[in-house]
Order: sequence, then structure tokens, then C-alpha cells
Amino acid sequence: MKRQRKFLAAGVLLVGLAGYLMVTAMTQKDAMTYYLTPVELAERTAANPAFAEQSGVRVGGRVVPGSVRFDQKTLDLTFTVTDIEHGTHAFPVHYNGPLPDTFQEGRDVVVEGNYRPGGTFQASTVLTKCGSRYEAAESDFKGKQS
Amino acid sequence: MTQIGEVALWLALLVAGWGAVLGFYGGRRGRGDLVLSAERSVYAVFALLLTASGCIIAAFLRSEFRYKYVAGYSNRELGLFYKITGLWAGQTGSLVFWALLLSLFGSIVMFQNRRRNREFMPYVAGTVLAVLAFFMVVVVAASNPFQLMDFVPPDGRGLNPQLQNYWMTIHPPTLYLGFTCFTIPFAFAVSALLSGRLDTRWITTTRRWTLLAWFFLTCGIIFGMMWAYVELGWGGYWFWDPVENASLLPWLTGTAFLHSVMIQEKRGMLKMWNVLLVISTFLLSIFATFLTRSGLIESVHSFAENTTIAYIFLGFLGALILVSAGLVWWRRHAFAPENRLESFLSREAAFLVNNLVFVAAMFAVLWGTTFPLISEGIFKQKIQVGPPFYNRVNIPLGLILLFLLGVGPVIAWRKATPRNLKRNFAFPLAAFLVVGIATRLAGVTNTYALLTFALAAFTMTTIAVEFWKGTRARAKIEGEGLGVALVHLVERNRRRYGGYVVHAGFVICFCGFAGKAFNSERQAALHPGESIVIPSAFGHTYQLTYQALSWYPATNMTKLVATVEVKRNGESLGLMTPEKRSYKQREEVTSEVGIRRAWNEDLYVILAGIDRAPEFMQGTNPQPVVTLKVLVNPLVPWIWLGGFIMAMGTLVALWPAAEAVRAPARAAAREPAGAPVPGLVGA
Repeated sequence: MKRQRKFLAAGVLLVGLAGYLMVTAMTQKDAMTYYLTPVELAERTAANPAFAEQSGVRVGGRVVPGSVRFDQKTLDLTFTVTDIEHGTHAFPVHYNGPLPDTFQEGRDVVVEGNYRPGGTFQASTVLTKCGSRYEAAESDFKGKQS
Repeated sequence: MTQIGEVALWLALLVAGWGAVLGFYGGRRGRGDLVLSAERSVYAVFALLLTASGCIIAAFLRSEFRYKYVAGYSNRELGLFYKITGLWAGQTGSLVFWALLLSLFGSIVMFQNRRRNREFMPYVAGTVLAVLAFFMVVVVAASNPFQLMDFVPPDGRGLNPQLQNYWMTIHPPTLYLGFTCFTIPFAFAVSALLSGRLDTRWITTTRRWTLLAWFFLTCGIIFGMMWAYVELGWGGYWFWDPVENASLLPWLTGTAFLHSVMIQEKRGMLKMWNVLLVISTFLLSIFATFLTRSGLIESVHSFAENTTIAYIFLGFLGALILVSAGLVWWRRHAFAPENRLESFLSREAAFLVNNLVFVAAMFAVLWGTTFPLISEGIFKQKIQVGPPFYNRVNIPLGLILLFLLGVGPVIAWRKATPRNLKRNFAFPLAAFLVVGIATRLAGVTNTYALLTFALAAFTMTTIAVEFWKGTRARAKIEGEGLGVALVHLVERNRRRYGGYVVHAGFVICFCGFAGKAFNSERQAALHPGESIVIPSAFGHTYQLTYQALSWYPATNMTKLVATVEVKRNGESLGLMTPEKRSYKQREEVTSEVGIRRAWNEDLYVILAGIDRAPEFMQGTNPQPVVTLKVLVNPLVPWIWLGGFIMAMGTLVALWPAAEAVRAPARAAAREPAGAPVPGLVGA
């Protein structure tokens, strides 16, 4: 029985190691990011302007039609994101890199990066919610009726 | 067509529900007639789902756009191939497809066991049918593929261009094959619990099913990585996206299960653990399907947020957990181990640690994946967990696995003697040190990468020594040549040597992952004739010269193609042609990356930007400036190679051995047809 206890202790040790890895992984930089809507971002930064300045945040919003500028040479992308539900609390976003394939005006995107109220959201990643993966609503076909 | 397909779906629901009740009731009461009816229900559901799927495909082929599903995922210009694969392109179709595969596997199991394992089969039929009934409820209640619109659009929306890719058409069905296949071992575990036969029988009976499920799941995950790599255009293959994670979860517990069953077969230990593992694997398969289908967690893969489906799935998962836990608790006294662990230096201990590591990795990934939901529930705040978390946890765990991979198969059962250790590990340890020092001297400073390569050398050496020892022994005893002896050796011990091959593939994959530490990338805007120079971790440099841009129309899209000449250390390697495609139907633009694959690295070119493209196509901008993004991804080809070797190794282990082919015939001769009454072994 004594030996079995030894094995149990080893097992506990291993589980402890895994737990330790998980805890340290959670607390390291950039492991956890807030996922907010533009409205929530505005509330947070109103309370604390430096809220999204140091550690990055993720914001899910809609690309405002007509706001997209993409420099084909420098790959600088700027656009305005607004709240999907309310259509308010718009803020400008800047991103550098190849345009994600499904990025389009009016689409829903998730931007990750740093932001200071009044400034531009500096995005390190732009994720497009794959609009085409959405189920088509019936209204999507109506425009095609002749 | 509507009527036939929809009626088939409703009938499938009724028959599955009916058969599930009969299977469990007939099994408990020992009513052979009811059990027979339940088994026939499985065949019937398969026939009905085949009909329904046929109707969906027919609707695609005939471009019947009054169906919302067809209109959403097809159009007139779509190729025949993608019209057929439309069956699983969208949510509603893919749920029918899932059920179809399960009913197919269920039918095969029923047929295989029509005269065997009679005490199990009522509950196996019952479990499979209960799962099928659940899927049919989801389909008819929340996502009916035969839903009509009140008008007929002239054309459909077409298939998402990103899905018009070869890998994407085989990736989902392969994953589904894996998910559904795990239902069979699960069904046998449930029947073992219900019938009280908790010896190794349920495990040996389902050994091939487990391997087959693992084979499909592994291939499915790797196909998904290949698709992401060529199609998403960011040069990576794994993003720790919730749905990728979801497919990894059952893989982790399934792999643990494959190993721990050996302990039960050989030593009669870990009986309850095995039941729990197979139950979790099945639950995680359902969870993975649920995550993809419900859109509950933000993901590039998610379909529409469909809360009805989410509730039905959560209810089903909850019920499954309660019932499984209840069954295990009910039988808790039947799991007594026949042996105990004797030493840390034993194969049992190595396998146990392997299992704990796999399960720990599973919990870490599950925790990270569901954390947004947890944090929203507790803190009213959605917090997402990013790749740094997963890497931090899983890389060390992966390295432990890599080490165990070398130890487990060669260390002695029960208790290893110092002599045994010295004989088995002297060589591999030497290889570990030599490769470790050599890669350090070659300039590798990343600790994880160094450890990966050194441990890979350690593990590969143990595998090679095993093959060598076996071959030499056989050659000596049988008087065969080495080549013949090797073939016969593997043939006679498929499971063991197939397993070694899988291990070798896994090690190669892991080296491929470690290659990420040495990536390089460059980006520049180029006039025709200008170049980008990019160094490779292997010491040479690539020079990419943008020569020209051309455009031409193709079916259903316009292509813009950049011609880029590639030189390595001044020596010409030919042309690469990254593209931009704009699809007419959905006004979508996709990038087709250019990839030049060598044995040790990929050169990956993205056509990221084209200055004044409309003017170029009108002819007023003949010398357009393009922006290229170039990546050198070392060792990525090893991931695909390792995956291929893993698949081949699994097939070797799966392939029926000569003896096994003959065995059922003998068994059948002993049990004359018609004699055994579908029976029961009561509680």
C-alpha cells in the first residue's frame, strides 16, 4: 500500500505540473484578451482612458461602408468600425498587412490591438467573420429576383 | 423530391426512436424478437438517410433554388464536383451527412456481429439509434435541408470561394468519419456497462473501430491544416481557433484510449479509466460538432448562431453525461484491477504518464476554448484566450510525450531491471546527446526547438533499434534475407510495428512544428524588375524578382497573376505565380498563394496588393506596382510527411492480419447459423 501511495503522489505531482503550466500560461502577457463590442469599449475607456492602451483588446464590430481605404503599395488599411447592434460608437482602425480575403465593407470583423480614446485603434490582427459562412437569410435572395 | 426527402427524414426519426427503445428494452428483457427489430432499424435508418441525402444531392444537381439550402450554397456556374459536395457544405446538410455516416457504421457493426457478441448487440443498437434519433430531432426541428422559400430566386449565391478547394471538400467528411466512428466503441462501452461484461471483450471487439476512428480524425485534422495553409493565406496552419481545438479534443482522449487499452489487455488494469476515456472521447466528438454548428464561440468556422440547436445539443450532452456517469457509478464495483503498478520504471507507468499528459492537454485546450463562455457567465465579461496560452501549456506537454514515445514501447512490463534499461537506452541516449549538441553547434538557440530535435533523435533511435532487432532475429530464425524478414515481421505483428510507424510519423510532425521557431518574412512594394531578398534558416538566401502582372477571365472569376522569378543563392529555381481571384457571384476576392515546396522548407508568396488594379485591367496602368509578402517556413513539409506516415502506420495496424481473416470463419463454424438466440447476460 505504501508503494501505491508513492505512485499517487507522483500522479498528483504531474497533475500539479499541468495546473502550474495552465496558471502561468493564463497570467502571461497577451494570453488573455477582453472581447468587447464598440459600446463596451467606449464604456471601459470612459472609465479609464488607458484601459486598452497597454494590453490589447479584441473588438467585434461592423465595417462602415465607404470608410475603407487600402493602400495597395504599403498595405496600410484604414476603416471605421461601428457597433453591430446599435450602429453607434464608431472608431477608426489602422492595420498593416495583406487584406484578409473576406474583408468587405458592411461585413462583421474582429480587430485585435491597442486603442486610446480619440485616437486610432492600432490593430495587430483583423479577423473577418466569414460572412459567406453565414446562413443566407431569405432577404439575401430577394435582390436577385427579376 | 421535397416530399420523398422530407418524409425520409421524418421516418428516420421515428424508426431510430422506435429502435432505440426496443434495443434497450429488448436487451433487458431478453426479448430476441424486439432486439432483432432494433437491429433492423439500424439498416432501415441507413436506407432512409441515404434516400434523404440522395434527394439533397439531386436538388443541388438540378439547381432547385427554391430550397434555401441549395440557393445558399450553390449557383448555376458551380462545378459538378462542388454540387455533390454541397451535401456537407452547409450546416443543415452536414448534420444529415453526420447521421448518414453513423447509420452506415452502425449497419456495418450490426452485420459484423449478427452472430457474435449477442449480449452486447441490443445495447449497441440502442445506443447508436439513440444518437441517430437525437441528430434527426436537430435536423427536423432546427435545420431542415428541405426548407422551401416562398419564391424561387433565378440563381443561387454560390459556394464560398474559400471552400472551393480540394482539401476543403475532403476535410469535413474525414473529420465526420472520425467523430461518428468513435460512437461505435462508445456504444460497446455502454453495452458492457449495461450487460455487466466489463472484461476486455468490448475493447478487443472495438479495437479496429477505435483505430479507424483515430485514422479518420488524424487525417481530418491534417487536411484541415493543409487547407488553412494554402487557402487562408497567412502562412500558418494552426491558429488555436475554437473549432480547430474542438477537433483536437477527441483526438487527445482518443489517443490516450488507444494506449491505455493495451494496459487493460495485458495487465487487467485501468478498467474504469478506459470506460471513462471512451465516454469522454465520444462526448467531445459531439461537443466538437456542437461547437461548429452552434456558433456559440466566435470562430472563423462557425455557422450562423442558431440558439435552438445550441439548446438541443446542450440538453443532449447533459443527458449523456448524466446517464454515462450513472452507469459507471452503478458498476463501480466491477472495475477491480487484476494487477497493481509495481515500479516507476515499467511500461505501465510510462503508459499511465502518457495518459495523464494527454488528458491534461485536453483539459487545457478545453479550458481555453470555453473560457469566453466561462468568463462571461461568471464575470459578465467575455475574455478570449490566445495562442500564447495554448503554446505555453502544450509545448512542454508535447515534449514529455515525445520523451515517453521513446520510452514506452521498449521498457519492460512490470519492472525494468538496470540491465534492461542499459540495453535499451544506451544507444538512444547517445543519439539524444549527439543531435542535441550538433544542433546547438549549428546555431539553434531556441530551447524548445533544441529539445524537440534531441528528443526526436532519442525516440527515432529506439524505433529503429526495435525494427532492427526484430528483423535480425527473424532473419536468423527463419533463414530469410533482411528485406523479406522485415516484411514478414511487420506482417505478423501489424499492431506493434504499425504503432511504431505512427510514432515515427508523429516525431517527424513534431520536428515540423518546431520549424516555426525559424520562420522569416519580408514584405515590399515592387515595380516590375525589382526584387525581395529573404534569408532561410538553412543558410541560403532567396531572391524573388517580380517580372510582370497579367489578368484573364476564367469561369466564374477573374484572375490576376503575378509572375515572380525565384533564385536561391543566385541559381534560378523557376517561376512562382501567386494570384488574386475575384469571384463574380459573391463579389469576393481571394488570394491564391504561391508555394514552392522543398524537402526541408516552403517558400510562401502572397500577392498582397496591386496598385491601381482596375486601371491595369483597362490598359491605362501597364506597369503596376505590386506588394508581395514572402515567408520562408522551415520544416513545414515535414508536418505533411509525418502526417502521411502516421496515416500509413495506422493502416498497417488496421489491416486485417492473415489469421484474423480466417478467424471469423472458424467462429462461425462453431456457432451454427440461427442457433444463438439474441440473448442477454443480466445484471
